Amino acid sequence: MSHRLLTAVCAIALGTGFAAPTFARAPAVALEGDVKVVRQVTENGRTSERLEEPNQVLPGDRLVFTTRYTNGGAEPATDFVVTNPLPGPVKLARVDSFEVSVDGGKTFGALAALKATGADGKPRAAELADVTHVRWRLASIAPGASGEVKYFAEVR
Amino acid sequence: MGTEYRLKGSLAFALAGAAFAAPALAGGVPAGVLIENTATATYTANASTQTVDSNTVTFRVDEVLDVATASQESGPVPATTTAVLRFKVTNTGNGPETFTLTANPAVTGNAFNATVTGLAIDVNANGAYDAGVDTALTNGAATPALAADGPLDVLVLVSIPASAPANATSRVELTAVATTGTGAPGTLFAGAGVSGGDAVVGASTASATAQATLTVDKAVVSLVKSATVADPFGGTRPVPSAIITYSIVANVAGTGTVAGLAIADAIPAGTSYQPGTLTLEGAALSDAADADAGQGGSTGVAVQLGDVAAGGTRTVTFKVRIN
Repeated sequence: MSHRLLTAVCAIALGTGFAAPTFARAPAVALEGDVKVVRQVTENGRTSERLEEPNQVLPGDRLVFTTRYTNGGAEPATDFVVTNPLPGPVKLARVDSFEVSVDGGKTFGALAALKATGADGKPRAAELADVTHVRWRLASIAPGASGEVKYFAEVR
Repeated sequence: MGTEYRLKGSLAFALAGAAFAAPALAGGVPAGVLIENTATATYTANASTQTVDSNTVTFRVDEVLDVATASQESGPVPATTTAVLRFKVTNTGNGPETFTLTANPAVTGNAFNATVTGLAIDVNANGAYDAGVDTALTNGAATPALAADGPLDVLVLVSIPASAPANATSRVELTAVATTGTGAPGTLFAGAGVSGGDAVVGASTASATAQATLTVDKAVVSLVKSATVADPFGGTRPVPSAIITYSIVANVAGTGTVAGLAIADAIPAGTSYQPGTLTLEGAALSDAADADAGQGGSTGVAVQLGDVAAGGTRTVTFKVRIN
C-alpha cells in the first residue's frame, strides 16, 4: 500500500519536473501582434484601401488585427491554436477563415451555427457584434516556418 | 493575457469584467478609451503543450466632435408679447464637450423678427423659464460641458414687437457649435481631445441648427366709418336740414378676444344729433346713460361693445341733421 502511494507521489513530482523546463526556456513559437486602421482612399476616381498606423482612431473606423507566428524551434509545433479575445470596444467586421465564440471563449464554431441571447431573453442567431473571441487552428508549423492570421474589426 | 477594455481608474475594472458590454453611447466608444489586443497560442512541441502570448498592441480612441439641435415645439408657438421656445441640444460625440449657443431671430423669410431677450438652461425641465431656478445664458455664450450623449434643454426667450401683425409667423433659430472647433467632417484638432488625444469633426460638422416658429396671437380692431346723406328734397346733397346717417363698423381680426371694446364718436360741428337714432347691430339704443350699451347726446355717442372675439363685427349707426 505504501509502495503504491509512493509511486503516485513520484508521478506527480515527475510531471511537474517535466513541465518546468518548457517554461524555463523560450517558447519555440513567437507571436507578434499588430494593428492597422483600414482607410478608404479615393484617388483619381478609384477607391482603394490603405493601412495606416492607429494614430487616429474614431468610432466606426475599421481595423485589422494581425498576429504573425514564427516557429523558431527545431521541432514542428503541432495542434497550433491561436485564440484572440476581441477587445470590448471593437466588434468583428466580417467572418473569415476562423472560428468564433459568442460566449466568452467557452465554445467555438462558425458564426452561422451559433446562438446568442436576444434582448428578450430568447435565443437568436448570433451576429458579428456578439463575437467575443476568434480562433485559428493549424495542424502543424514546421521549424523555421512563419505565417500570419488576422481579423477585421470595427470600433464600436 | 487576454484583452482588456480599459477606461480610467476603477471604472476600468468594471468594464474589463463586463467583457462584452453593449455599446453605451450613440456616439460610439468613449474618447480616451484604450483598445488593447493580445493573441494567445497553444501548441505541442517536444511532446509537451506550450502556451505563448503575443505582445499587446494598444491604441487610444480619439474624440469625435458632433452635436444635434432640435426644436421641442410641435408647432408654431402662439405669442402676444413674449414667448419661450424650447430646444434640445445633444452632444452626439464621444467625449465631454462645451457648445456655444447662439439664437438668431432674423431668419430669412420672416414676416417680422422677434427680439431674443435671453437664453436659459431649463434646469427643472418644465419647459418654462423660472428665474433663479433655470440657468440664464448670454446669447453666444458656451454651455457647461456636456457628457457624451448628454442632452441639454435650452430655452430661448423672445419678445414680440408691437408692430408685428396678427397671425404673422416668425422663425427663430438656435445654433450649437462645439467650442473645440467645427469644420468639414474629418477636420482635425490635434491634441484637443480627451486625454490629449486628437479631436476630429464628425458628420454633423460639429455645428447644428434648429428652428422654432412663433405666431403672433393678438386681436386687431379696425373701425370703418361711412356716411349717407338724405336731403329734404329726396336727394343726397349735404344741404341744411339734410340728415346724415353715420355707420361705424368695428371689425376684430387676428386671434383671441378683445375685452371692453368701446366706440365713441363726437357729433361733427355744424350738425345736431337726432335723438333716438342710435342703434347697435340694427337694434335701437336709448340715449340715456342706462342699462343698455349706448348713450347719445348733443356732444356725441358712445357704445360699449364689451368682449368681441376675433372674426366678429359690430355695427353702430346714428343720425345727425345739418344745421
